[in-house]
Amino acid sequence: MTKDSAYVVRFGRRNRIEHMVVMVLFLVLALTGFPQKFHDGGVAKAIVSALGGIDRVRYFHRLAGILFAGLTVSHLVSVLAAVITGRSSLAMVPTAKDFRDAITTLRYYLGVSDVRAQFDRFDYKEKFEYWGLVFGGLVMITTGFVLLFPIAATRFLPGEIIPAAKVAHGNEGLMAFLVVIIWHVYNVHLAPEVFPFNKAIFTGKISRERMRHEHPLEYARMFPEAERDEEGLHPPAADPTRKKDG
Amino acid sequence: MKVWPTQFLHSLARFALVLVSFFPATAAAAATDEAEACLSCHGDEQLTMTLESGEKAPLFMRHELLEGSVHKALRCTDCHVGLDQVPHPERHYKSLTQFRSSFGEACKTCHFENYTKTLDSVHFGLQARGDVFAPTCVKCHGSHNIGHPAQPRSRISQTCATCHVPISEAYAKSVHGKALIAEENKDVPVCTDCHRSHDIASPKDRAWLMNTPALCGKCHADKSLMSKYGLSTAVLSTYLADFHGTTASFGAKGQSKGKGPVVALCVDCHGIHDIGKVTGASAPTFRSHLVKTCQKCHAGATENFPAAWLSHYEPSLQRTPLVYLIRLFYKLIIPFIVGGLMLQILLHLWRTVVNR
Repeated sequence: MTKDSAYVVRFGRRNRIEHMVVMVLFLVLALTGFPQKFHDGGVAKAIVSALGGIDRVRYFHRLAGILFAGLTVSHLVSVLAAVITGRSSLAMVPTAKDFRDAITTLRYYLGVSDVRAQFDRFDYKEKFEYWGLVFGGLVMITTGFVLLFPIAATRFLPGEIIPAAKVAHGNEGLMAFLVVIIWHVYNVHLAPEVFPFNKAIFTGKISRERMRHEHPLEYARMFPEAERDEEGLHPPAADPTRKKDG
Repeated sequence: MKVWPTQFLHSLARFALVLVSFFPATAAAAATDEAEACLSCHGDEQLTMTLESGEKAPLFMRHELLEGSVHKALRCTDCHVGLDQVPHPERHYKSLTQFRSSFGEACKTCHFENYTKTLDSVHFGLQARGDVFAPTCVKCHGSHNIGHPAQPRSRISQTCATCHVPISEAYAKSVHGKALIAEENKDVPVCTDCHRSHDIASPKDRAWLMNTPALCGKCHADKSLMSKYGLSTAVLSTYLADFHGTTASFGAKGQSKGKGPVVALCVDCHGIHDIGKVTGASAPTFRSHLVKTCQKCHAGATENFPAAWLSHYEPSLQRTPLVYLIRLFYKLIIPFIVGGLMLQILLHLWRTVVNR
């Protein structure tokens, strides 16, 4: 098996760059945000003074937040444009199958059944994370701008919107952080199947072997002849690097 | 009144001092005896000394001043060090100011801790810059008639009022000052409770300013103290939980260095020396001023804006339903989502182990 044929392109360059940027921004936002939420702790004081004071921490937080808002808007616009022009599939849209898959998977985990859910391009866990990031991101951006421009926000809205936005911003951020730290890090680093590191989002490539296991429906669609050929490990005649966008 | 020759008086005084030194055990009696010996000259109202500047320094000491003094049991020479010889060794003073401050350092012999503290004070800073009006120990405490500085408590504020007139007038009208003056209230702060007594910091000092929430909190977060007046102790915690308080707790650096903090501290909304009540009769005034208070920093703030501040109340369903419900929502959803995901991880690991 040659190197070229053993891998399939899973993420295009744009997606890879987006992931890198959102990862860095997420860490910056968490590092500069949590000391503000948990300001009582000694750790918060240590981080703030290490970064050069609360004013500078807020400056970085706002800068990263504005960049995050820009990234979110550019991502959503490009996805929307791609969907409208038919250049993108709707692979990331949640379907009834995802809910069935979740139940099948839980039944499998619990040992109730030995049937494993067969996933397409994105499994329900990936969709959960993606949409969690999108909607959570929109909450963070909206509340963040309310907090950044309180005078403008209260020109039309009641004053209570400010403390409400603050509560939502801090808690939504905490939830996002916990989900990423627990769920995302487990799924891409610690889970036995991928340990120590699922590099797909950085290299853009996924091995055919892993794809066949983790995304069998997409694999079958991509390599119909290989699927027919029992275990399908022979290199297919068709171009394996056919790109699909999410 | 100078009828007796000075020489004779000196011999008499010297004799008295020698006599006194034979009975060291009875210190109080000795002090009285020594005082009597000193007063044999210094009881003379006409006794003066001509200084280099030509000024005349009065050397008369009114004996009655000692009666109310806490230092009644001390000898004159305990403070007036180096003068136990009669005639006194010759001393030269340039001016009356120098003469008056010449024994100013005497207090530190006994009160070393408080003396050391004064070295950090804004008053010592003035003194060091040569300000002749800067307070020294005796300017606040008195000299021969030193009494207990805090008896009665209002005496403290009166002492400061000697120089700080407009501030003491504002204080007297404040909720704290009124209670002190009208009822000798022991709970309200006098000047030194906030500004400290010996190591008085400059009120423009950044570190001191940034500490003011903790300063107010010393009393206003004290449950047993505040319950006497029906005041909430959540004022500090709610302040710290809000944007301003969080900023203050990090000791905000501010945009314009040295111009004070760019964060609202307790005093920015409540006033400094003229702190009034925010409940009862004056509440409507305070509230109607709120938008103006906000506008001091937040230019362009509308009538809606003050409601952004929860007025030291914890979010509640009645008062601020939106804040309360959002908080409740996250209190439920975070454990639900995170717990659910962790459960799924554990199940996944368990199944993986079972499969092997």
